[in-house]
Amino acid sequence: MLVFLFRRIAAGAVLVVVVATATFLLLSLTGTDVARNVLGETASRSAVAAKSHELGLDQPLMERYWRWIEQAAQGNLGSSWFTGDSVNQSVTDTVPVTLSVVVAGMLLAAVFSVVLGAAAALRGGWVDRVVQFAAVLGTAVPSFLLALVLAVTLAVRLGWLPATGYVPLGTSGTGWLRSITLPALSLAVGATAATAMQVRGALIDVLRADFVRTLRSRGLTTRSVVFRHALRNAAPPALTVLALQFIGLIGGAVVVEKVFGLPGIGTLANSAAVRGDAPVLLGTVVVVVVIVVAVNLLLDVAYGWLNPKVRVS
Amino acid sequence: MRKTVALVGVGLLTATATACGGGTQAAGGDKTLTLAESVTATPWDLAKASMGPESQYYQPVYDTLLRLDTKGQPTPNLATSWSYDKAQTTLTLKLREGVKFTDGTALDADAVRKSLLHTKSGTASAAGEIQDITGVDVVDTHTVAIKLSHPTAALLPALGQVSGMIAGPKALEDPRTPVGSGPYKLDTGATTAGQTYTYTRNPDYWNAKAFPYDKIVVKYLADPTARTNALLSGQLDGATLSLNRVKTVKGRGLNVVTYQPGDIEGLYIWDRAGKKVPALGKLKVRQALNHAFDRDAIIKSAKTGLGTPTTQLFAKGEDGHKAALDDAYSYDPAKAKKLLGEAGYPNGFSLTIPDLSANFPQEQAVLNQSLKDIGITVKLDTLPTDQIFSAMLAGKYAMSYFKLGAPTAWDKVQLELTKKSTWNPFKYDDPKADDLITRIGEATGTQREALFEELNTYVVDQAWNAPWSVIANAYATAKDVKVTPQPGSQYPPIYNYAPAN
Repeated sequence: MLVFLFRRIAAGAVLVVVVATATFLLLSLTGTDVARNVLGETASRSAVAAKSHELGLDQPLMERYWRWIEQAAQGNLGSSWFTGDSVNQSVTDTVPVTLSVVVAGMLLAAVFSVVLGAAAALRGGWVDRVVQFAAVLGTAVPSFLLALVLAVTLAVRLGWLPATGYVPLGTSGTGWLRSITLPALSLAVGATAATAMQVRGALIDVLRADFVRTLRSRGLTTRSVVFRHALRNAAPPALTVLALQFIGLIGGAVVVEKVFGLPGIGTLANSAAVRGDAPVLLGTVVVVVVIVVAVNLLLDVAYGWLNPKVRVS
Repeated sequence: MRKTVALVGVGLLTATATACGGGTQAAGGDKTLTLAESVTATPWDLAKASMGPESQYYQPVYDTLLRLDTKGQPTPNLATSWSYDKAQTTLTLKLREGVKFTDGTALDADAVRKSLLHTKSGTASAAGEIQDITGVDVVDTHTVAIKLSHPTAALLPALGQVSGMIAGPKALEDPRTPVGSGPYKLDTGATTAGQTYTYTRNPDYWNAKAFPYDKIVVKYLADPTARTNALLSGQLDGATLSLNRVKTVKGRGLNVVTYQPGDIEGLYIWDRAGKKVPALGKLKVRQALNHAFDRDAIIKSAKTGLGTPTTQLFAKGEDGHKAALDDAYSYDPAKAKKLLGEAGYPNGFSLTIPDLSANFPQEQAVLNQSLKDIGITVKLDTLPTDQIFSAMLAGKYAMSYFKLGAPTAWDKVQLELTKKSTWNPFKYDDPKADDLITRIGEATGTQREALFEELNTYVVDQAWNAPWSVIANAYATAKDVKVTPQPGSQYPPIYNYAPAN
């Protein structure tokens, strides 16, 4: 298991470097006049040239790349070309926001999908049909639309929850929960739809399996069969889908953060991309890749925990 | 593990269900003014500051030498009086006595000198506005003399904006936290760089009664939908509004003001000499383009009725504006076609223009249709937002949709109309216009005004561009907050906000 973990971590590190390099090169090749964008359309040509020099954009590409890699290896992601804010600080400020929303969305999706999926598989009949229909609907509705509807109805019209903004967990627990509920809910619906169907399918398969018949024949109650054995066996495929959803949710978070005015890493990356703020964009890309790698690692560990057979292989 | 999952899930749900009682803090009642900005700040180094929409981040902490009233006229602030010498190249300012920075340092002539020269040393637009300053002399503790390389009417207005802000000597060396003499101090504990900035009262401020709020919070909220939702749900006291939201927001009882930041939008013709697209080198073709736009209809459809039709580059209230010039080119596609025929293009011509639909969908659509209607075929070139400026400035397009503004008419001339201007990407040179511009620079009073009008008339007659409207911005405030917009400013300055009674 340790060797396995080590190999995965090394592969992850290589992935981070490759993605960072590719991003750096792509950003340098776009031909964006960053200094012009920093100073705005009214700046004079000489001011733009001076700014270019200040940012070191007049230096050779390889030199700039090495300097960035060197700094990044020491844990310094540089500072924004536009605001001068430290990228490390910006990332530290924004990651908790996105993770709060995404993780809460994941947890909601996990709970909803197990409940709905299990209900559909065990009850069958009209319950099954309703769940299946809802799943199709849930997959079809884009998260930004849902976010907009939730924001306008629950936040603006009814005033139940804040329409925008994020309250850090350290500032106020309830404030934090209130600020992330609607964004998390917007993300959870799509993920639930996809995962619930997975749970339903896996559970139906498991319930038809020979070992379940054996268990039943020994006189175990349905409850015991379902909760102690069937669900556990149905979990790995559902977990895979959920983990894939997590990566998707980080992408979806960009849009949801926008609608709810959340200062998350999606917002940070988005504004950096629009302006061509390379240090910030590079920093966010590196951090997101690290998060994705870490999630996959956790998933592998969770597999092993749920299903000892995986640990051996 | 599964139990925790369920618990957190339940927690989220109960939060949804029980939150109705909570509600957000009533804005205004607690004397806090919460505003949203659509751009991030570049605090706190004035050498890196820009004049535009981010001013609101600086205004609470850095006071200005002069203050512009709602007509844009300079009035006393940190400077109590000022006068030019005969040659108009030395501006002497008397400073208010007894003013201190928030760290206790006195705001004296030397501090003003250091701060102005520091701002000027930068490359951003606040620095650009005061590039004509050649030196600042300390006459005595409370008197400074600003030396100029040549007379410029742009200096006084600039000293009432970001360029004229004074930062404490310590803040110049280490601008990580602002030290100013403004009405507020930055509350670093309640501030997250790039997201939320909180300001509390500076107890020693000399003019506290001009600022009715005890606390100011400026939040960065880029998305127009998020801004509108935050306004409607009472999380904000003021925010800039997309024109298409004006009706909704007004309908919900909030205050909405519209004002002109001074930007002129329309078709900007860059290649007036016809270097890239020979047709544009012909006067009749450029005039034909001016007849192609139904300006009233454009404002009605693309600008939801907000804005003023125009055919000139100077907005009402700016030097050089001449109301009569707006009748220079009527909407007349038939005449446009006739002019094209006379210029040798009876079947029109084709050219490539940038597709700015991502940022200006209605405007781009109107442009495309209007050009098509007079027989001009456009090929649309799509490019990423961050490359638009560079591509335009590199002379990639002979013409395009655009909007430009500047703090004063003279700035606008420098920005667009001279051979060296940044927004003259094809370096179009016209001796007659150059001569007029030189004479404006040297003239004063009514003579200057007459020359400005002459320049404007010439540029309109020569159809350098085909403008269609003076842009209107909309700004919304909560029911209990009223704001006076400032012409020429992107956002109302913080001293223009007050409780509504």
